[in-house]
Amino acid sequence: MKGIKYQLKNIRRDKICIISFLLPVIVGLAINMLSGVSFSSLSETSFGIVKNDLSHKSVQWLQSNGSIAEFENVDELKASVLDPASEMIGVLRDENGIKTFLSGDELQINRIIGNTLPKLYAEREAVVASIIRVIPAANSNDGMKSLLIVITMVTAMFMGCTFNAMSMIGEKEDGIAFINEVLPMTRTDFIAQKVFLGFSGGVLATILTALTCIRVESGHIFLLLLIIILSAFISALAGLYIGHFANGLMGGITYIKILMILFLAPPIITYLVVPAGSTLHLLSYLLPSSATFYGLMDMLNGQVQNIEISIIALLVHCIVWLLLFFILENHRYKKSLV
Amino acid sequence: MWRGFISILKKDFKLILSSKFFLLALGSLILYSCYINFVYVKLDQDIYPVYIYDPMNTHTRVSSEVTQVDTIEDLKEKYSDGYSVGIDASSIESEIVIVTSGITSTDNFRAAYALSLLSPESSYTVENIGQNDKEMKNRREITSEFLFFELAAVGFLGLASLIFKEKQMGVIRVHGILPVNKSAFIISKLCLFLLSDLVFTCLLSIINLGLSAGWNVLPVVFIQAGILSIIMALAGLYCAIRVPDFKQFSLLYLVLAIFITTPVFLAAQTNINWNWINYHPMYHLFMGMKNSYFSTPSVGSSYYLVCALAIVLLFLLVHRALTHEMAKEG
Repeated sequence: MKGIKYQLKNIRRDKICIISFLLPVIVGLAINMLSGVSFSSLSETSFGIVKNDLSHKSVQWLQSNGSIAEFENVDELKASVLDPASEMIGVLRDENGIKTFLSGDELQINRIIGNTLPKLYAEREAVVASIIRVIPAANSNDGMKSLLIVITMVTAMFMGCTFNAMSMIGEKEDGIAFINEVLPMTRTDFIAQKVFLGFSGGVLATILTALTCIRVESGHIFLLLLIIILSAFISALAGLYIGHFANGLMGGITYIKILMILFLAPPIITYLVVPAGSTLHLLSYLLPSSATFYGLMDMLNGQVQNIEISIIALLVHCIVWLLLFFILENHRYKKSLV
Repeated sequence: MWRGFISILKKDFKLILSSKFFLLALGSLILYSCYINFVYVKLDQDIYPVYIYDPMNTHTRVSSEVTQVDTIEDLKEKYSDGYSVGIDASSIESEIVIVTSGITSTDNFRAAYALSLLSPESSYTVENIGQNDKEMKNRREITSEFLFFELAAVGFLGLASLIFKEKQMGVIRVHGILPVNKSAFIISKLCLFLLSDLVFTCLLSIINLGLSAGWNVLPVVFIQAGILSIIMALAGLYCAIRVPDFKQFSLLYLVLAIFITTPVFLAAQTNINWNWINYHPMYHLFMGMKNSYFSTPSVGSSYYLVCALAIVLLFLLVHRALTHEMAKEG
């Protein structure tokens, strides 16, 4: 207990830890403050038109199908369509309706929209006459927003590794690691203290972040806590590995950078690109952060029937990572005896 | 003077080699290239799938894009994903069913698109006015981003770690009494980092754009990479001399990586319009880099003038800080 007190006291002075603790919380607050509108305008189809080219009615029709940017002349419009950052579709008047143009580097969806827009324009009366049933979405959370929230939450959880990794590397650099060898403290005690350090930091940061940006049903709070606790524990173990392998601060920061990229990028990509149930999706569970990511995403979307898979995957990760570390430690201990 | 400079250069090179900076750069190069070639290039978004439940075969001229389902439950399951569109043609008048995307205009378009697939296809194809296809655009875009990030953040960090090591070893103190110009101390480091950054730029561009496209953009990219590399190295040098230890410096680095580069990416990548971004100096550097990858003429001579001025100013600042530090160290 006393050891843990010293560990916490030591970490309080570490500015990297404080920043990495506060960062997700600040980002969570920022996401909360951004209104849903600013995200949704990103996924709207954008059309570019030239002033006084299309009739008032055509502009109104375009507006009901996407967002419109108006330009003074065709050259300005072309420049904006050509801009690689934009997915804008240029719309001009044609003798019997409208014609479209693209820069040719757009997403498949926008190319098809460009191909079909004149036909849609010609058939616009038929749409008004047809029966269209729009079902409200089960969850009111904006898709883009919940993705950002989950990314922030996963970052907060796995930031936990910074706390104990930095503390271990700092001790190595200051020579405290040698003193620890002769202190009346067992190796297990040391590991327990360091794991606790990363774990408590990760859990605290995640809970604070969750408070700022997540709204879940009261029945799911227990599940959310379980995911947080398991993920933070794995992250603390990851921190232990980094502390074990890194020799200097520079190396430590590099390892943390690589770990964060490895833990964050694949789940996001698999979530967006790979269909659930495929082999690749199953393989992604090899990374603990994927399980956390899918679990949180399901929870935000209000579908908790598949959440057991995530929790079981996390549990397996906890056990495997812990066992591996003990084997590693044991190996090192034996080597030091020789 | 010249011999002194060469020996400083040699010493710096050995130091960089021992700090595993090149290893880090090589690791980043492999990581980035794998990501670009295996993941980013393939990212795409397909048009909304349309499913129809038509037990009485009311619609005879349905486009091949529409998938037939056998039961109404199947249809419901398909459109429940919130992206697909369902057409229920079991009653006299067909009904289009969608789960709202949260944006009215997108919902309107989805419904109109699904309806249009029920009538004969038109032969109209959209006119392409650009030269890049989707893949090439993705490659150019992400390569310029990674390069910008690598040069802005990693060069900054690498130089600083070098300075801290030298501070620890007492090299700065020794330099105070050596008959070597202080400018040589700065320039030798700049040269090495510039050279390594240019090699990195060359490899990253050629691996990810392909030999001919990469080779074509390289001359322009080299100019932008050189400017960015020198500015960031000087900034890193200044911060590292001024800040007492590496931990505090890494805090600065985190702030740089997150609060300075993220808005730049957001503004340049998406269609967000922020007027204040024009006052963000890194934004112009990034746009210079990106435009050079797309071979679009962008900046005038004023841009280069400002960059040159910034470099001179930063150099003078570093020189002063170094003199101050040496005086302090005795």
